[in-house]
Amino acid sequence: MEVVLNWLANSPDFAVPYALAALGLILSERSGVLSLGAEGLMLVGALIGVGAQLAFGAEGISLFLAMLAASAVSLLFAMMVIVLRVNQVIAGLALVFFCQGLTSLLGTLLNWTNQALTGIGAVPFGAMADWPVVGHILFNQNIIVYLTVPIFILATLFLNRSTTGLRLRAVGENPQAADAAGLSVGWYRLGAIVAGAALIGLAGAYMSVYSTKLWVAGMTGGRGWIAVGLVIFARWSPWRALAGALLFGCIEALIPQLAAAGVKLPQYFVLMTPYVVTLGVMVWVAMAKSGHDGEPGALGQPYVREERG
Amino acid sequence: MSDALAPEMTGALAEAAPPGAAPAVIDAAPPAIETEAPRRPRRMPLASRRFSVEIRQLMAWQWQALILAIAILAGMAISAAILIAAGIAPKDLLNEFVVQTFFDKQNFEAVLFQAAPMILIGLAASIAFRARFWNLGLEGQMICGAIAATTVSLYEIGPEATRLPLMFAAAFCAGLLWALGPALLKLRLSVNEIISTLMLNYVASNFLLHLVYGAWKDPKDGFPHSAEFRVFERLPELMHGLSSAILLALIVALVAWWFVDISRAGLYLRFVNSNPRMAHAVGVPVRKMTLAAVLLSGALAGVAGFVVVSGQEGRLTQAFYSGYGFSGILIAFLARNNPLAASVVAILIAGLFVTGRSLQVFYQIPFSMVQLIQAIIVICVASSDFFIRHRLRPVAAKGV
Repeated sequence: MEVVLNWLANSPDFAVPYALAALGLILSERSGVLSLGAEGLMLVGALIGVGAQLAFGAEGISLFLAMLAASAVSLLFAMMVIVLRVNQVIAGLALVFFCQGLTSLLGTLLNWTNQALTGIGAVPFGAMADWPVVGHILFNQNIIVYLTVPIFILATLFLNRSTTGLRLRAVGENPQAADAAGLSVGWYRLGAIVAGAALIGLAGAYMSVYSTKLWVAGMTGGRGWIAVGLVIFARWSPWRALAGALLFGCIEALIPQLAAAGVKLPQYFVLMTPYVVTLGVMVWVAMAKSGHDGEPGALGQPYVREERG
Repeated sequence: MSDALAPEMTGALAEAAPPGAAPAVIDAAPPAIETEAPRRPRRMPLASRRFSVEIRQLMAWQWQALILAIAILAGMAISAAILIAAGIAPKDLLNEFVVQTFFDKQNFEAVLFQAAPMILIGLAASIAFRARFWNLGLEGQMICGAIAATTVSLYEIGPEATRLPLMFAAAFCAGLLWALGPALLKLRLSVNEIISTLMLNYVASNFLLHLVYGAWKDPKDGFPHSAEFRVFERLPELMHGLSSAILLALIVALVAWWFVDISRAGLYLRFVNSNPRMAHAVGVPVRKMTLAAVLLSGALAGVAGFVVVSGQEGRLTQAFYSGYGFSGILIAFLARNNPLAASVVAILIAGLFVTGRSLQVFYQIPFSMVQLIQAIIVICVASSDFFIRHRLRPVAAKGV
């Protein structure tokens, strides 16, 4: 019982980075831009989050600066794919490797590596956290966990109910038609990339500031890529992405709990699980593919007005 | 527009020349000159200039080469600025990167030594990309190749004389098998190969850690690497410190060149690369060609893993593969998937690696600098492609 409660209480902590990163990816992919750079942007968010926390010691400022930094770096990607029409796969990969190199370099040169952060904890709910069973799970989380659900509600409302959101999706489904209707494909895509990058940066900052509470080079360990897979699994729908993120969070949270409960498992095989599960999920989605799979019609295609047929 | 204006304009000037001409005509002329299109942009402030972008069909190769060179120079200039910011004296830059690396005999040998796996990994990437398959699993395939080769060594399979060929074959097959999964998933179920190959990288690297921290830990010193290979399990030195690894890599490069440029399969691959649906329509076995190219790519990556453990490290170590995956992509990208060009680019990237290591030792600059420089060069070159594929023409500003 104790193990199960601990497991459920820890799951959101692992799920939040996946959820936020997947939501950021959905935003930019709904506009038709294939964003493979999530892994790199998460690293930028994680590094800047820790750096700002070390410098200012205020969580709000750290998270804001992390989001700002990820958005700023994504401008480079946006310039490549929107203005210069670079192949989106090449641009995304280049962005990931650029960010990996840059963050690992800055982390070492600025001496932010392995500096533990202190004084970050759960939102104080007082006695509610001590309630039996639900107290520990529901009332002992940090602020971002509670904010994740409202963020998802806002994002869904934006995509499905607001004019801007509908236009954004139109740009992603059929840029020719959107352009003919007078929408600026480039500006909508730029907005989607930058807003998505802010969420992805927040996901990275969550990992470093709240989960591990320190910065290590390459600390995201492929979670950005898993989020890319998660978006395919979720078929570009925010709520399915949240469900998928919870699934991954539960799986990752289970590992330390099993070890604590005395179950002997080969350590490195256990570390493979998120990646194997991602593969399994991708195969499952491919096999269960129905007629309409939710993929934005123009995903990954640069829009070139001169080539309009 | 300018054609229509031209006669009116010259007319106006002609009228203006003789004294006492009708003033009404001169008064009408200035607005016409104001809107004359081709001459205006040069005198306009930068922000309000407008260009029309046109698709170019084909650019002369000299211009392509010039743009590529400018892009690489721009990338190197940005990298140099970062290196200077990181604390290297500007006067040492040229010395460290060019003179010390390529003109010092010992260092140049180190570059060639490093170039062997680089050439192989670059070829592996090029061949997969030719079949429109984003093989990002090069590192995983390298790891599998290296593990297979080490298995042959640890369990002493076969007599001494055939040990090295056997290790080569084992690495070849292991890399091939590790690429088989993503290739079949892509062809059968159209599972995105970018994600599947990357996920398999993480699986392979964790399996490698499981081995070197577990059963294969060196019994002599207890460090997390396998026992040292015996002399006959290491790629021999040919002469003057030249490893046979570079010879192997060059032979593979020639074979790959024959494969993609001369053989029928290579012609098919070019079909598949330029338009898979068209290729299918004219009877090219698209799926078979894709599968073959991906498997060959995985196998070459496996051989690269064998070359690193048997030629360089002399044992299986826990991070021997790091940096090769992106280098392979970079090499294939810069060489436009051409095997011979890939070999040349690989030698330059090997030089960058060797320099990166010496920067680490002498300037305490992390090795990730190499990755950053590689990424900057890719970004510059990828961006420069815009100017090869498009033509910019100045046009009159809107609303004039």
